[in-house]
Amino acid sequence: MFGYVRPLRQELKCRDFDLYRATYCGLCRCLRRRYGALAPMFLNFDFTFLALLLWQPEPDFSLCRGRCHANPLVKKPMCPDSPALELAADESIILAWWKLKDSVQDESLLEGMPARSLSALLYPAYRKAAGLRPEFDRAVRSSLEELAALEEEQCPSLDRTADTFARLLRAAAPEEDPRSRVLAQLLYHLGRWIYLIDARDDLAEDREAGRYNPVAARYGPEGDDEALKLTLDHSLELMGAAFQLGDFGCRAPVLENILYLGLPLVQRAVFDGSWSQIKKQKIWSNRR
Amino acid sequence: MKDPYSVLGVSPSASDEEVKKAYRELARKYHPDNYQNNPLADLAEEKMKEINEAYDAVTKQRAGSGGYSQQPSGSYGGYSQQRSSSSSSPTYARVRNLINAGDLGTAERLLYEVGQKDGEWYFLSGSIAYRKGWLDEAMQNYTMAVRMEPNNMEYRQALAMMQQRGGYRPAGSYDSSAQCDPCSAYLCCSCLTPWGGMCC
Repeated sequence: MFGYVRPLRQELKCRDFDLYRATYCGLCRCLRRRYGALAPMFLNFDFTFLALLLWQPEPDFSLCRGRCHANPLVKKPMCPDSPALELAADESIILAWWKLKDSVQDESLLEGMPARSLSALLYPAYRKAAGLRPEFDRAVRSSLEELAALEEEQCPSLDRTADTFARLLRAAAPEEDPRSRVLAQLLYHLGRWIYLIDARDDLAEDREAGRYNPVAARYGPEGDDEALKLTLDHSLELMGAAFQLGDFGCRAPVLENILYLGLPLVQRAVFDGSWSQIKKQKIWSNRR
Repeated sequence: MKDPYSVLGVSPSASDEEVKKAYRELARKYHPDNYQNNPLADLAEEKMKEINEAYDAVTKQRAGSGGYSQQPSGSYGGYSQQRSSSSSSPTYARVRNLINAGDLGTAERLLYEVGQKDGEWYFLSGSIAYRKGWLDEAMQNYTMAVRMEPNNMEYRQALAMMQQRGGYRPAGSYDSSAQCDPCSAYLCCSCLTPWGGMCC
């Protein structure tokens, strides 16, 4: 997706940092095993969060070691394969493919060339993933179509446009999970938050390009950070309230860090403009 | 029934003080104020009931064994009490029931059949939007409701809830960036930090 969902490293305990990193590396390996050498390029923090969130609660975790895809000479701690990891891998391929298709449509023939060739390369992987998760595939497709229609008609409602992406993310949780209501509420508001943060991040760029932007459509071309912050904070709060009702076992601390520290930090950075710098930083290095 | 100690997240050898502290933290977490009009309010209520029962069981057990237990201070009670709210018309009463039952689609349809939009119409419309997660629309509707009936406490409370933060945050470093409102400040200062002092 976009990389907005990340932990605040300075506040992570060592064991939680190890768990986070091993999940990230495990997701990379899972993508490569299922979808080939190209797939790890769609690895991101957002789906690492999803894998951690959907993992069935365990009192403790154990890591194994595996060869790194980027540097096969080194072995790194990785979490073992699990249904949650596979689900996150499949879903990231599906979403990546639809987003690529979206940008191919948006751009001119020449500009769209990189995205077009990439989507052609990704097509076999997408077919496989869509076959494994037909419901999520349908949900993504219909949500993005609805979103495109709303953007076309310059929808002035913040909630209506955000709702499409929120429902898309809500569909990422399996229905048979005993925590399904909690996960659905949490993911709905995470999707809402991601969509609106992304819209705020694109505000200036869209204004210059004359493109539709939901934040501008609601608050005017300059936006209204105070009002937007209020509604985003409330979504964060509802995510926290939902999170507290679910059982996440040993993964609770790292998830808590992301929800209560990581997301608010990214939000502040997007508002004050420092996000474009932070975005490029690797979580792994110790530099701030 | 589950083991009361595991519900409270303490070991059976924990001191009375530790048990009480754990209970308070959980009660703060699942307090119904944090789940007002939340679609998951029923789950929070269940949790609250569970920890209340666990706390009662532990205090009773300890008092019975003749230990040094203090008089149980009594668990937080009365949370299942419904806030009384009256509707000015039978349609509105039905809409309220539908919202409480979680049937937002029917509630919305029923509400749109009402011709005259008054304060309560906007309030109910806001409640439906809030439940759906349409927070901006909820805010706009609550604002309209308060504008039309400035003296209605229910509407004003709903609007105030949208305008200020104050939900549960885990204790510790998570509090650092939170703004301290007097109410939760009192709680933090009294009992909820690991070192028993100020946290913010």
